[in-house]
Amino acid sequence: MIFKCLSLIEGETQIYARVDEDGLIRLTCTADYPEFKAWLAEGNTPLPADEEV
Amino acid sequence: MSTVKATNFQNASSATANMVTDASGNVSFGGTAAMSSSFLRNRIINGDMRIDQRNAGTEVNPAVTQTYYLDRWQATSTAASKYKIGQNAGAVTPPTGYTNYLGLTSLSAYTVGAAESFGVRQLIEGLNVSDLAWGTASAATVTLSFWVRSSLTGTFGGSLRNSDGTRSYPFTYTISVANTWEQKTVTVAGDTSGTWLTTNGIGIILIFSIGAGSTFSGTAGAWAATNYLSATGATSVVGTNGATFYVTGVQLEVGTVATPFERQLYNAQLAQCQRYYYRISATGNNQPFANAFCDNTTIARGAVLFPVTMRDRPTALEQSGTVANYAIISAPTGQNCTSVPAFATSTVISSEINFTIASGLVAGQGCLLRSGSASGASAYLGWSAEL
Repeated sequence: MIFKCLSLIEGETQIYARVDEDGLIRLTCTADYPEFKAWLAEGNTPLPADEEV
Repeated sequence: MSTVKATNFQNASSATANMVTDASGNVSFGGTAAMSSSFLRNRIINGDMRIDQRNAGTEVNPAVTQTYYLDRWQATSTAASKYKIGQNAGAVTPPTGYTNYLGLTSLSAYTVGAAESFGVRQLIEGLNVSDLAWGTASAATVTLSFWVRSSLTGTFGGSLRNSDGTRSYPFTYTISVANTWEQKTVTVAGDTSGTWLTTNGIGIILIFSIGAGSTFSGTAGAWAATNYLSATGATSVVGTNGATFYVTGVQLEVGTVATPFERQLYNAQLAQCQRYYYRISATGNNQPFANAFCDNTTIARGAVLFPVTMRDRPTALEQSGTVANYAIISAPTGQNCTSVPAFATSTVISSEINFTIASGLVAGQGCLLRSGSASGASAYLGWSAEL
């Protein structure tokens, strides 16, 4: 499982997509989402919006 | 213990009987019955396991983490694929008066390591146990009662714990007969030490252990200043391949008596669960999720109102992961999405979400966010404010 940035909508909060092992995105979130924060705390960095997973 | 045999009880100043008993055990009150605690006694939500918004009875295999399955019930695993969990898993007949239970089945004969633990637990919001005054000299005694059934017999373990794992009370109960429902009661003198949150954070954690290592196991029947999740010597369900563990009718209440399970109307119980998790599930194609407006030619922005105020502001949106499950309809036609629905923002009573299609929307025009035109029955939107 990894997180990637979604394209930023002007004036809106950055949203991240969780890409599961099967390649599907079943969850999108803000930087405040606990699972995303825990993933960052493990030293991970979200992929940029234009990068293919 | 002595017994007073009487039919009517009447205050000296009252013209008629204030309380009338009959041979069937019914008691009628002429006025209001006042109790030291309210009639809403049970601090456990979904104790009879009726609500399963996420999986609707489908059995699943917990990942390595804490994950919610039946509403308000979280499965904990320090290793993957050691057991599966589901509502009414195993298809046994629940205890009389119940229609549902939480079922676990061990998938291997796993030797639990010292620092490992497996189980199910409910994180009780501090606001719902603030009157217990735990962490003070006035800490209230509580009684836990539940129905349990296992293919194994022996001494089983669990625990009551505070939010940060600095206080815990391991307990035991005995399952005497295999594959038979038994009702158990555990009374716990409230903890006069430690920090017990009375906010919308975690107040008390109730744990049913199905396997815990020595690091997380302690002496039953005593408070400890550490993170015990079970009692020393308790049966490990995950230690036997195919072993089952079923539980329902879970009630945690003030006092030393286990009163009958507190029945609730289904809608009231669902609303209690929706404070922590809310899911809209489509059952077919072209079913509505939310009104919206077209932000530009590809994105529609809609707002969903939650049916109850959530515990906290959700920060994520769950969906099926399949874009064709979702669609936007805007004059003159509808189109299936080209990206999965995305979270935008939320309050405790509403959430803004974005649906995306390839092209054709007219900025400023109204539209409807709904399930897809061909595989819409698999569509859902979910928001979590779980502890």
